[in-house]
Amino acid sequence: MQAFLELDHLTRTFAGTPAVHELSLSVGEHEIVTLLGPSGCGKTTTLRMIAGFETPNSGRIVLDGRDVTQLPPQKRGFGMVFQHYALFPHMSVGANVAFGLETAGLTRAQIDERVAHALELVRLPGAGDRSIGSLSGGQQQRVALARALAPQPNVLLLDEPLSNLDAALREQTRRELRTLVKEIGITTVYVTHDQEEAFDLSDRIAVMREGRLEQLGPAEDLYHGPASEFVATFLGRAGAVTGRVDTVDRGGVVTCRLAGGPTWKALAPASGGSLQPGAELRLLARPEALTFADPADEASLCGELRDLRFAGSVYLYTVAVEGGELEVQARADQARLGDVVAVAPRSAPTGLFAFAVGSDGQDS
Amino acid sequence: MSAWSGDGGRRLGPKDRLLVISVFVILFWAVVYPNLVVLAGSLRGEEGFTLRHYAAFLGTASELRALWSSFWISALTVVFSALIGVPLALLFARYEFPGRRLLGALAAMPVLLPPLVGVIAILFLYGESGIATRVVQDILGLESPPWRLRGSGAILAVHAYSMYVYFYLFTLAGLARLDPAVFEAAASLGAGRFRTFGRVTLPLLTPTLAGAALLTFMTSMASFSAPYVLGGGFRVMTTQIFNSKLQGEIGMAMVETVMLAVVSLLILWPLARWEGAREYVSPGKGSAPLRVPVKSRWAAIGVPTLAGAGVLLLVLPHLTLLLVSLVPDGSWTVQTLPPRYSLENYAQLFAEARTFRPILNSLVMAGGATIIAVVVAIVVGRLVVSWRVPGRRLLEGMLALPWALPGTVLAIALATTFSVNQPWAGRFVMVGTASILVLAYTLRVLPLTGRAALAGFRQLDPSLEEAAASLGAGRWRTLRRIIVPGLLPAIAAGASLAFVTGLGEFVASIVLYTHRTRPISIEILSRLRDFDLGAAAAYGVLLMVLVAGAFGLGQRWIQGERAETG
Repeated sequence: MQAFLELDHLTRTFAGTPAVHELSLSVGEHEIVTLLGPSGCGKTTTLRMIAGFETPNSGRIVLDGRDVTQLPPQKRGFGMVFQHYALFPHMSVGANVAFGLETAGLTRAQIDERVAHALELVRLPGAGDRSIGSLSGGQQQRVALARALAPQPNVLLLDEPLSNLDAALREQTRRELRTLVKEIGITTVYVTHDQEEAFDLSDRIAVMREGRLEQLGPAEDLYHGPASEFVATFLGRAGAVTGRVDTVDRGGVVTCRLAGGPTWKALAPASGGSLQPGAELRLLARPEALTFADPADEASLCGELRDLRFAGSVYLYTVAVEGGELEVQARADQARLGDVVAVAPRSAPTGLFAFAVGSDGQDS
Repeated sequence: MSAWSGDGGRRLGPKDRLLVISVFVILFWAVVYPNLVVLAGSLRGEEGFTLRHYAAFLGTASELRALWSSFWISALTVVFSALIGVPLALLFARYEFPGRRLLGALAAMPVLLPPLVGVIAILFLYGESGIATRVVQDILGLESPPWRLRGSGAILAVHAYSMYVYFYLFTLAGLARLDPAVFEAAASLGAGRFRTFGRVTLPLLTPTLAGAALLTFMTSMASFSAPYVLGGGFRVMTTQIFNSKLQGEIGMAMVETVMLAVVSLLILWPLARWEGAREYVSPGKGSAPLRVPVKSRWAAIGVPTLAGAGVLLLVLPHLTLLLVSLVPDGSWTVQTLPPRYSLENYAQLFAEARTFRPILNSLVMAGGATIIAVVVAIVVGRLVVSWRVPGRRLLEGMLALPWALPGTVLAIALATTFSVNQPWAGRFVMVGTASILVLAYTLRVLPLTGRAALAGFRQLDPSLEEAAASLGAGRWRTLRRIIVPGLLPAIAAGASLAFVTGLGEFVASIVLYTHRTRPISIEILSRLRDFDLGAAAAYGVLLMVLVAGAFGLGQRWIQGERAETG
């Protein structure tokens, strides 16, 4: 995809501590890219650099072939929705939405028309005269979106815009948001720490950790082929056991000799890392990739059932095995706490990932 | 990163730097420099550097006694003010009874009374020929007045009367900030009324009470009107300074000024730190109904009666002032209550240019000072909070310094610094003109507008400014459309308080006025000296009305803004 917005080796340091380090990322036109990561990973700083509120210590931001790194925010033509909306409390809804249009040299009639249109887009027609204080949280969020969209910006930036809504409203709103943004076709960068939101909204997800880009790709790729242990556990659930590398084949499938005895096949990350035969590894397994098995089976790993959780259509079992803890997803209530059970892969190597120990820099 | 941009601070262009430097220079020149001049002056004699003045100060018993008097009067003022203000606040905050709102508002009345007006109102009521004094004398059939309103006791009484308001208002505000759920939690854990008060309410209020105590102590240390009018031979530091100045003992006046300033700052420092270190903010949503309706029949009669009687006692001086203002000159001699009433005194205030002059002076000088102080406060607020410029603590400190220094100190410093013409040293002759009074008023109200502006900026969501920028608004448009409207409630509150303070200003005025530039307070004093009590009272009432008007206007502005934002 042709890059419309390009971040080129961005670094931003606060008091000597890098908040964002050498971050490069390109966003295609009409694409929705989500910056996802735990708090403090630098995603908001990245967004604020794109918006122009933070100046990178080094690196460039390029919009449609033009370097905008040194441009002040008001010259960038980016629309932004803030976490707490930042609606102007002393202005009506209409005046808030009109604010960005007033500098554009439009006539009053044109402004009114654009305001009305923007409010219709966010399903708040006729709310122009209402005061900000009279709006519910969800309505405020939509006014903030209307205000950001009204000047027809090049890029829409959203900083955890749904984090202040309650769970049910959040789910509904994010579907609407995606539909709306796709309808307008605006290039969007979205910041969140919520993986479900990222899955639901994004064309591609950029997982960030400690100021660095950990992995970039569509949600499915990230889920089915995480580049690191961090990505594997941050996106979706995964249990982990230790073992050693037996062999690595050309297709990137690793044969792992687990601490508990059996040998399982797992996927190696694209980079391969230091998965040399004999090296220590950690094997991560998605709960749905595992099943209860016959203890006599040679692929079976035995352990004690530690925890059992009902998760709607399925049950999640936590099994303590030698060298770690695994989660197994199963349909029915199949065992009791304290029972010794046997676990095996459903169809290895799908949903099983091998990472060299130490490759992730994670304390484990 | 440039040294000009702190963390999260903005990068400053050459124009911005010029602004920052100018602000530093101007504030330093106006706020700090005059005090340094006094300090230097106190260390200089004809022979050059000398500690002679200090030796003289420390070797004179009356000087040390005055310093000690200032201290213990202030400490006792805190105790008495707390004993009146806190129970009153608890009464109005915790119980619901008929007339609560009205009585609660009336209890804050002394805040409307400029210190000098409060003193003379009390003089009219409890002074040797005061109404209450005469009533008691008549009832008991005494030959001479039953008491004399003189000396330390009188000063303490006036202080307690005029400063309990700090405890009252602070406690009310502190209670309103608390999460009512904590009281419910205490009750659900089995704590009775007294246990809840002792273990929950009081500890939660300590920062608030410390704040009120600090304010009361500092105000009392700086108090001039009461000791000046009622002290007689009893001297405190402020009156001591004034007298030294009057007698031309400039060296001694400067030493006294330095001593008072040092003692004030020494006390302020630890108390302010303690207050700041313990701030309890309720995490909850705010106030569920906190008041309990009075239930038992005894209490149903007793509580409102008690509250009413207490409040009556507190507004009696206001009423007396009003009464005296209606008494024609020379018509009231030996009677308990005046025999005749008319509006003569008021008519006179506006009849002649000579009598109207002080009113005009006060309005113009207070107005000018307020405008300057508001502008300075907004600029400093922006530099400190939004730009986070280096040295912002220093800026904030300079804004607050005049608050810590008694008005007398300020006045002596200005009078000393701006009585010579040395442009190269930043000293100009301003004494004798209105400009020095405006400067003094500006400095005195600067902490008020400064505090308001800083608070306003701090509660302004910084993302509002970013939102405006992301919508294409430049710096000027953002300031005009977003920041100033957002600050308006805070600024209105600070400005009305500043204007009111300026209107009633007496302490600095008495050092710096001339006949042409005399403000209302000075005129009141001189009428009092001429035994023209009616006119003095009329000026006092006018001042009260102006003060109430300014407050009301400020309040309406604030509330209007709030209503608009919903």
